[in-house]
Amino acid sequence: MSNTREKTSTEKGSKADLAQRGGGGANASLPPKPRRRRRGFGWAGRMEIAILAGPAALVFIGFVIFPVVMAAYYGFFRWNGYGPPTDFVGLQNYFVIVTDKAFQEALGHNLFILVMSLVLQGPAAILLALLLNRKMRGQSLIRVLIFVPYVISEVVVGTGLSLMLSTNGAFNGFLESIGLSSWAHDWLADPSLAIWTLMGILTWKYIGFAVILFLAGLQGVPEELYEAAALDGASYWQIQWRITLPLLAPTLRIWAFLSVIGALQLFDLVYIIWGQYVASTAGTSTMATYMVSNGRDAGNFGYGNAVAVVIFLISLIIALFYQRFVLRRDTQGALTERKAK
Amino acid sequence: MKAKKLLAGAAVLVAGMMALSACSAPSSNSSNGKVTMTLWQNSTTGPGQQFWKDAAASFHTKNPNVTIKVQTVQNEALDGKLQTALNSGDAPDIFLQRGGGKMAAMVQAGQLMDITGKLSSDTKANISQGSFKAETYQGKVWAMPLSVLPGGLFYSKDLFSKAGINEAPATIDDLSADVTKLKATGVAPIALGAKDAWPAAHWYYWFALRECSGDTMEKTADSKDFSDPCWLKAAEDLQAFAGEKPFNNGFLTTSAQQGAGSSAGLVANHKAAMELMGAWDPGVIGSLTPDQKPLPDLGFYPFPELSGGNGQPGSIMGGVDGYSCSAKAPKQCADFLNYIASTEQQTAYYKAYNSPPVNTEAQKAVTEPYLKDVLAAYNKAPFVSQWLDTILGQNIGNALNVAVVDMLAGKSDPKGLIQAANDAAKKG
Repeated sequence: MSNTREKTSTEKGSKADLAQRGGGGANASLPPKPRRRRRGFGWAGRMEIAILAGPAALVFIGFVIFPVVMAAYYGFFRWNGYGPPTDFVGLQNYFVIVTDKAFQEALGHNLFILVMSLVLQGPAAILLALLLNRKMRGQSLIRVLIFVPYVISEVVVGTGLSLMLSTNGAFNGFLESIGLSSWAHDWLADPSLAIWTLMGILTWKYIGFAVILFLAGLQGVPEELYEAAALDGASYWQIQWRITLPLLAPTLRIWAFLSVIGALQLFDLVYIIWGQYVASTAGTSTMATYMVSNGRDAGNFGYGNAVAVVIFLISLIIALFYQRFVLRRDTQGALTERKAK
Repeated sequence: MKAKKLLAGAAVLVAGMMALSACSAPSSNSSNGKVTMTLWQNSTTGPGQQFWKDAAASFHTKNPNVTIKVQTVQNEALDGKLQTALNSGDAPDIFLQRGGGKMAAMVQAGQLMDITGKLSSDTKANISQGSFKAETYQGKVWAMPLSVLPGGLFYSKDLFSKAGINEAPATIDDLSADVTKLKATGVAPIALGAKDAWPAAHWYYWFALRECSGDTMEKTADSKDFSDPCWLKAAEDLQAFAGEKPFNNGFLTTSAQQGAGSSAGLVANHKAAMELMGAWDPGVIGSLTPDQKPLPDLGFYPFPELSGGNGQPGSIMGGVDGYSCSAKAPKQCADFLNYIASTEQQTAYYKAYNSPPVNTEAQKAVTEPYLKDVLAAYNKAPFVSQWLDTILGQNIGNALNVAVVDMLAGKSDPKGLIQAANDAAKKG
């Protein structure tokens, strides 16, 4: 079976090469094709690039790069947000952040959500995708039901669920009406439960996205492989384990990456359901809610910006590691130096 | 090549326009003597919103050259939006002013108009010095007070009498006894919107007002040092009181003012017997009753007394709601502030908001017994303090708000609460 995997990955590689060559990029490691002259970028060519990429670059610099730089700058000040910052405190904000218990707790919650998202959503989404990949009745209905939560806005979900899950809300009312009143809990306010409630909501909301990704990935598995395996007498589960999963791996890796980034930046659902104050009490605070609570709401804008920088750095480090070690095969040449073959 | 040059020129133009559009024109334009001003207010309910629209319209009728655009911003979102607007140099001309540390910070940043010399003689005659005190910083007046909002307990007389309680509790021990009686009738004794944090913190502030002397309060506001034992004592009092479980179920995820499930909504729908709040509460409760009319059996009593504290009995805490002009506002802004402080407008304000006006002439129009009780308690008080989170400034105030919620949830204790207040100073 390892043969097949290698074959497909080299196939993929050559496809990428083709795309690269088509894109006009000069690639030193490839033999130059005689009928295509390498085009240097003269003045006119640069102008063309400037005109075509200029507006997008301006927007990106103005709304992404500039705020990041400004946040790093403000992070060195003690600043209440009125008028320009003047009280330079160097790295003091950063020392306070890393020693603050509330921040450590928030980071812990982020990491817990990150791991649990992968552990809970991954297997469940793969099983659902396999289930939905066959012809069956009501397939499209199930697809819609699974995908709808992902489409609903976080604000709507948060508002609705915070009403339903509150102590006297519809959910506990439902449990009582079917005689399970002993199961009724303080789903949102009980510190030992709240994070699991949040996990449940996140799984329900984002699993649709994973399922759709995996379904698309499954489309890419050649039918012949299944036929050949079936002829060789492999059982259904063997086929899934030996063929489907390995071929889904690139999709899985990309999904996991998106999931990790999402878990690190989680803000909206927590903020709406728990408000900015109760999240730390209930044990569902995240780095982003900590930033808003200790930055904007406390009027410490310098401190808040320093927290933003810390979140940025943590996310960047995790993302770079992931790309370097996990996504390496999928993004070869895009971010890493391509080794000459 | 010509086409390319043209394109390049166009690109440069586009870039230039993008750069220019970043600095927007000021909101008030005084071309040909006509002035337009924007006003931000926080009332999302019908009558409150209508008051501002009517005031803007009638002011325009009297001064045809001045147009005022009223914008509504939800209360919990107002402060953040306002700060962003002030810093971007695109502030509203007239806006709600909460006073205290926030106002001081705005003054220091040169963002407010000094209206000391612009107060009309009528305004000075009808509004007491005490009300202006809350809007004064460094000897100058920075906002026009509109409403005095002392705090206390707003309760349902019907639910009290059902529980066999004939008079409002005068001491904390009475209150504890009443809580037990109310529990027996199956209603939540006290509604608490701890999701917004500050309503929970108010319980601590009131205990502190009973435990700490006025001097200590004012000293701590300056020094941000909570080492005086009265602060810890107040936290212990609150923990002991909360131990009796007087609050509604799920108070941690109950908001204060939004919807029937909020603490004000619980009182409005007779699901809870009382709520500790400022004097804006009758208006909020009225907007959440089933028929959206004021609650007919609403009553008020001041925060109960506590034996052995250093606070003067009868001391009261409360804020004054005022409106400020931005430093960049046109001079007509002050005229409008004088206009809404006039007796006629203040009477309309009281009717719309169901909260006590500052204008002493307009106060004579107050008929509701609970508002009369509020004014009586306020006028009798030997010491009136601003809301503690306002005096202590946003940073410490916010930390205390969160710390009180933590303590009520059992996540920390009185010592932890004081520690949190002391730690906050490191962040801002």
